[in-house]
This record gives sequence, structure tokens and C-alpha cells, in this order.
Amino acid sequence: MSAPGAPLAIGSSGPAHARRTIAAETVVTVGLSALVTVLVMLPMLAVAIGAATETGGLSLRPFLTVLGALRVIGNTVWVGVGTTVLAVGLGGLLALVLARMNTPGRGLLSQLVPLPLYITPLLTAIAWSWLGSPRGGLINLLFRQMLGVESLVNLQSAGGIIFVAGLAYVPLPFLLIGAALRGMDPSLEESARVHGASMAAALRLVTLPLVLPATLGSAILVFVQAMGLFSVPAVLGMPGGFYVAGTEIYRLLNNFPPRVSQAAAWGLLLLVVTAGLVWAQNALLNRRSYVTVTGKAFRPRTLEIGGIRYALAALAWLYVAAAVLLPVATLVWAALVNFITIDPKLMAFDLQHFRYVLLEYPKTYLAMRNSLVLGVAAATCACALGLGIGWVIVRTRSAARSYLDQVSMFPLAMPSMVLALGLLWVYVRTPMLPIYGTIWILLIAYVTHYLPFGVRAGSSALRQLHRELEDAARMTGASWTKTIRWVTFPLSRPTLVAAWTLLFILSMQEISSSILLYTSRTTVLSVAVFDLWEAGNVNALAALSVIQLAITFVALAIFIRARHREVLA
Amino acid sequence: MSSGGDFLSVERLEVGYGTVRAVRGVDVAVSKGEHVTLLGPSGCGKTTTLRAIAGLETPSSGRIVVEGAPVFDAARGVNTPPEKRGFSMVFQSYAIWPHMTVAENVGFGFRVRGIGRAQARPAVERALSLVALSDFADRPASQLSGGQQQRVALARAIAYDTKVVLLDEPLSNLDAQLRIAMRTELSELRRRLGFTAIYVTHDQEEAFALSDRIIVMRAGLIEQQGTPIEIHHAPRTRFVASFLGMTNILDAEIRALAGAKGMAEARLAGDIVLRARDPHANGAAATAGAVGFRPVDVRIEAGVPGPQGGIAGIVTRSLFLGDLAQYHIRSGPIEICAHDRPRAGLTEGAQVSWHVDPENCLVLRE
Repeated sequence: MSAPGAPLAIGSSGPAHARRTIAAETVVTVGLSALVTVLVMLPMLAVAIGAATETGGLSLRPFLTVLGALRVIGNTVWVGVGTTVLAVGLGGLLALVLARMNTPGRGLLSQLVPLPLYITPLLTAIAWSWLGSPRGGLINLLFRQMLGVESLVNLQSAGGIIFVAGLAYVPLPFLLIGAALRGMDPSLEESARVHGASMAAALRLVTLPLVLPATLGSAILVFVQAMGLFSVPAVLGMPGGFYVAGTEIYRLLNNFPPRVSQAAAWGLLLLVVTAGLVWAQNALLNRRSYVTVTGKAFRPRTLEIGGIRYALAALAWLYVAAAVLLPVATLVWAALVNFITIDPKLMAFDLQHFRYVLLEYPKTYLAMRNSLVLGVAAATCACALGLGIGWVIVRTRSAARSYLDQVSMFPLAMPSMVLALGLLWVYVRTPMLPIYGTIWILLIAYVTHYLPFGVRAGSSALRQLHRELEDAARMTGASWTKTIRWVTFPLSRPTLVAAWTLLFILSMQEISSSILLYTSRTTVLSVAVFDLWEAGNVNALAALSVIQLAITFVALAIFIRARHREVLA
Repeated sequence: MSSGGDFLSVERLEVGYGTVRAVRGVDVAVSKGEHVTLLGPSGCGKTTTLRAIAGLETPSSGRIVVEGAPVFDAARGVNTPPEKRGFSMVFQSYAIWPHMTVAENVGFGFRVRGIGRAQARPAVERALSLVALSDFADRPASQLSGGQQQRVALARAIAYDTKVVLLDEPLSNLDAQLRIAMRTELSELRRRLGFTAIYVTHDQEEAFALSDRIIVMRAGLIEQQGTPIEIHHAPRTRFVASFLGMTNILDAEIRALAGAKGMAEARLAGDIVLRARDPHANGAAATAGAVGFRPVDVRIEAGVPGPQGGIAGIVTRSLFLGDLAQYHIRSGPIEICAHDRPRAGLTEGAQVSWHVDPENCLVLRE
């Protein structure tokens, strides 16, 4: 207090000392920009250089070879487009049906449809290969026995890959389009009705155009993932000699000698296509205004539909059965049954496969430990980086803002196999950084791949946090670091914990980049599952898959309980 | 403007981001114990000036000196971070941390300086009792009403030894009744503690009620400064006059009145003549300018002007406002607005006579 005999004074803060300060903000901004550049730009650059070099020096040959492999290119595009159309079509339809229509059971179904997010497509693909392979597939066996027909379905085909991958990616468009539908001002539709549009016309002319950005955005997300997909075509395509870019890269690198340049050329091709699409999406959406989400809380009207609602609910249940219940039941069944058969008389159930996986199979503990360490470390690093980058983007006027904002989103357009290729190329060649062959290279790949999620979570947490809450801490004497620790971090914790849980679960299941970067000492759970699949050890594989699923759902349950407690408190 | 004895002085302050220059050269000097208010419409640079003093914005040029020592000096590269300047601040959004209790909010300044809870307790309790929130110490801060949150913000600002309390529109998020009550409380608190305060508001009543001195800002520059009475009584420019509620501002030719110092004659359009105060007279014989007067200072009589004079007019519109009525009156080419008690006869189209006392009519030169 300034008055004489100020009643509240405890210690005097003394005259403010004039001093030069390099703000902590500047250090953090520069450091994060450098880090993001190394994480994101370096592998992309490496893929480009790798694609253009051969042992003899610069060469266009790898690239020309790749462009000549028209079959694989055709397969990749067909799988990419098919998966995207199926996932976005079904996801969008389910979003509309469950978010806006009086479908029976829509509350429960809305919880169930996103579940495949937490189940790696590798497991779904394996389960479906047991169900639908042309000769040994359980469905075919059953029908052959009952009807005497030859094989009914063949999932070891392009159609099978599209079917399984499409089902696996439905949750992305379902969630994104559903959010857009829920956030929409219902008066936009109502005014179309008042001006003479039928319900169907209002949907077609007003609602659907307004959810176009979410539809397009999720289509591109799915397409990027499907183009770089490894697990599903590896399980359902490779046995029949059907290759797409992801499995082709794997084949080239497992060749002896490995054809790194040609693999890099595939990576570059994928990168160019996906980056071009993301660019086109931005160009398309920037032309018009689609701002319908105003931050107001809307309660969109439920559309009353007739008897067709039972058919639509049945479709949703069919989806949940095909994408979740059936594959998980198959895996659990295969983990418990003594051997795979459709004859009930021969079936016996015990825990011998779990015993084998847990006590005898040498890779289980190593893979589990590596996956847990990587899951915790990758989720923590991606969230911490995301909060830091989000802070620079939301709170500073730094020139690095838009650079960080854009570059940290690049990995969305980078299939994780391509990222792994880039990292391989960089770290195999830099012996002074002995990262290749260690768990660090996997961590770098995971953190880079999940960086966009971390940044989105960090910046949205900070946007919800009034900046004066931080200013008040500075004005009450807290340094920048104390402000972050005592005010910013605790207040953004709920958002960060949700993001952390999701990234932990995704890391626990990662395979596309792990399959290129692991060594025998750094194997992870999904790779161990894949190894067992390649070795044909079906029951052990099922037991390990069930363990992997269990870890995922335990993590999810802990998170849901913690959030529940926090809401109650 | 800065003199050696000033407690806090801001010199030639400029703040800009990108191409926008929010503050374009502002000088402020504050004495110890003084309450200075930065008053102006939104976008005038008042909040930016305050945040620059706090250290929350980095100015592009100028100096900020506290007790003779610069906390910011663009020329010498001095920029003391906000937590080292020894100020405290009350924010428009209250900025009460929802994850802490009331006492933890108020005691935060002690905690960050490593002072233990027990040691800080007397000061925290004292600050809470000053804002009448002693019973709320252990409540989660998120459960308080807006008015209570504002009190916590105030307690937090005065709990720890501070040189200057900076207040950024602290009452603007409260409803009208609560705003008036808090205004009284704030003025009482400052009387008891005698702290130095820099206050930002767009509400002239708030500024008049609380300030020792008011600085009116416009477009990043200071337009006029003085005591509340000076500012209210003698706004210098059209901008200040209209911002302070002089709704009637009319172009006029100004002629000094011989024999009456500080008075002038203003000739309006339609040869209407008013006598007006001219406190900022510059000695010129006749100049183009304006006169301004407040609607409450217009006296209206029904009927045509009598022998004492007055200006003839016709009521073009009358609005009933409750205690007052608002009349729009046309006299030839000019139209004025008057506030008076609601009266039966003054309906639209009625003939009236109006005048303004020379004391309440002011010459405006810019």
C-alpha cells in the first residue's frame, strides 16, 4: 500500500529494478518452432531426398519404377476411395440418424458407434479374415456344411479390405459430422420449412450443404489414413498377392537387400497426393462462409420419421455388430477354444493360450512393457507440446504463431508409414545420433504423428480459458512459469486428460510406423500380434489381442470414472 | 508532463500491433495516493495503456517510471516483467481462479512469493473482512455470484503490499444496481486504505464518483484532463462534450462579449443568439466554433416567447421516460433535445419557448 502506515503491508517489494529481460515466452516460442521443424519437416524432406537418390547418386529411377507399378497404384486408389466412400457414407448417415432423428435407442447407439476408434483395425481385420477367408473362413465353413455351397464370401480381396477398413473408420466422420449437426442453429432449417421446403428438401438444400465442411474434412482424414493403410491390406491382401502402397513399402524394405529408395518414392507419392488434397480442401472451403456454429447452446429439433426409423436403427445395430461385437467375440472365442473349428462337439474351452502367451511366449512382456512406456511417453509429450504450441498460438502475438499452427497440422496429411520412412532415412544415416534401433525413434514417430491432436487439444483448452485468469496471476506476483504451473495447467487439465487418454490408447495400438521402425528389442504389442499372425499361431494371437483390448478398455474405464468423479466434485 | 516528484509516470507511450497503433503517444503522471481515471469510448486505447503500465502489453516506444526507476524504457531496452513491477490489478472478467477457494485466490500473492499459509493468514483475513467476505474464505471461488467475485478480485489486489492498484473496467460486468453499490464500496475502501489507483472505464458517472483526476482519451491520444468538476464543467472539445452527455452541440460563430470576461455571444444558424461561457477563450475577436449544452439545462415554457425573451420553437417529438420527458424542439433550421418534467401541454406540434442559462452553455472551439 502506498499510504503511510499502510495496514496490509507485509514485506516491501522495494523499488522495481530496471533490468533487461529475455522473456521466457521468446525462449519457449523459438524452442518450440525449432522442435516442430525438426519433428515434422525433417522426415518429409528425408522422404523427398531418399526418393531421388540411389547408391550411384541422384536418380529419377526409383520414382519412375514406382510410377510404372500401375497395378499397385490402382489398388491403392481403389482401396482409398472405397474405404472413404463407405466410411463417410455410413458414418454420415449414422450421424444424421442418431443425432437428428427419433431413432429408437439412439442414446445407447451414439455411445456404441464410436467404439471402433479404440479397437485397432489390425484386430478387426484378423477377426474378419477368420470369419470370411475363402476356404477356412468360419462363415464359409458354416454355409458349406448347411447348404453345401462353395465359398460364400471372400474377404481376402479388395472388397474385403474396403469392407473392414471402411467399418473401422466410420467413427471419424460419425463424430465430426455429428458435432456439426448438433452445433447447427435449428432456425436455419426452420426458415427453409417456413419458406415452403419439405423436410427432405430442407435437409438436402440447407442441412447437408452446411455440414459439407465436416463431411469433406472427415473424408480427407479417412482418405489419408486409408492411402497409407498397412494392417488391413497386410492381413487381407498380402496372402492373395494383393498389394497397396502401405504393404508395398513393407515388402520393399523387407526385401534383401532392402529397396529403400523405391520405398521412399512410394512415400513421396503418397505425401504429394495427401498434401494436395488437404490444400484443395482448404482452397474449396475458404471460398464460402459456412460459419453456423456460434457458440450458443442449441437444441436442434428432432426430425420425426415414420416406420423407416426401425430399419435405420437395425442398420446402426448391424454396424455395431460387424465392427465391434462380432470381431471381439471371435477373438475372445478363439483365445479360449482349444482349436478353431465349427464343430461344437470338438470345441473345448480353457486358458491354455493365455497361459502360453503370458508365461511362455518370449515377446509378450517385452512388447507390453515397450507399448506401455511408449503409450505413456508419447501421450505425455504430445499433450505437453500441444499445450505449449497452443499457448503460443492462442496467447502471443509472436510471428511464429501461424507457422506453428500450420506446420504442427502437417502430420494429418502424412501417412504414418511415410513418416516412419523419413525417420528411418534420417537416423540410419546419422550415426552421431544413435537413435535408430532404440525406442526413441518409435517415440519420435508417435509424438510427431499425434502432434496435431495434442495441439488441437491444447489450443482449444486455452481458448476456453479467459486470458485474464493468467494475467491476474502475473499481476499477483507469479512468474510466467508459476502462472503456467498453478493456473494454466490445472484449469486446462480436463481437456488435456481426455486427449492424453485417447493418445495413450492410439499409441498402444500403433502399427503402421512401428512395423518399419521396431527391432527385436523394441517390439510393441501390435507388432507382436502381427508376428504371431505371420507365424500362423492363431490361438496365441487371439489371446494376445484380447490382452491388448483389455488394456485399452481398462484405460478407458479409469478415465471415465475419473471424469465422473470430477464432475460430481 | 513528468516531473521528478511523480510517483508513477508514463512518457510518450506508444503501443502498436501490426499496423494498428492503439496508443499514439500518451503522457500520464500519477502522484502517490491519487486516483486517476482513464475515460473514453471503446477502442480509445485506455485499456491498452493500462495493460502497458501493468506490463501485460509491450509498448513500441516510450518510458514508464515508478518511483524514479524505469520499469519500461524502449530506448534502453528495459522491460520489467509484470510480476516484478509491484502492482496489482482488478480485471473486467474478475479473473477469479475457479480451481481455488476464496482464501487461496486472495492469498495467491503470498504463495507465489513462498510465504507460508499461516504467515499470510492475517493479511488474507483482513483483506476479506474489508470486502465483507470473511465468511466465504473456504468456499470454492466458482460458487460465488458476480458481485462476490468482484469483491474477491478486489481483496486479492489489496491483500499483498502493492504500489498501485490498476482497475480495468471492474464494474462493467455487474448489473446496474450492484454497480452503484460497488462504486460506493470501492470509494469507501480507497478512503480507508489510501492506495494509489489507475482506473479505466467508459462510464462517466463512475469516473466522476471515484476519481481525483480524469484523463479523457480518444483514438490513442489524451483529449483533456482535469478534476471531475473541471471536466464536467468545461469540456474543451466537441468530442469530450458529447462523450460527457452534451447532446446539443450546434455550430456557431463565436464573438467575445465586451465587458464580460469569459463570456461570449454565439450566433447559430437562423440568426438565433445564445450567451455562453468561454473558459478556454483565446482572445480572437470572432471565430467559427460551436456551443454545447445538456438537455437537462434547457428550460421550456409553453406558448410563444414572452417579454423576457426565449427562443420560439415547435415540439416535433415527445418521449415519456418516467421521471423525465424528452422533447425534441425545432426552431427554424436547428433542432435541440431537452429533458424536463413530463408536462401535459407539451404534445407534438405544440408551440414553446426555450432558453439556456449562459452559465450552462459552453463555447467549444475544436
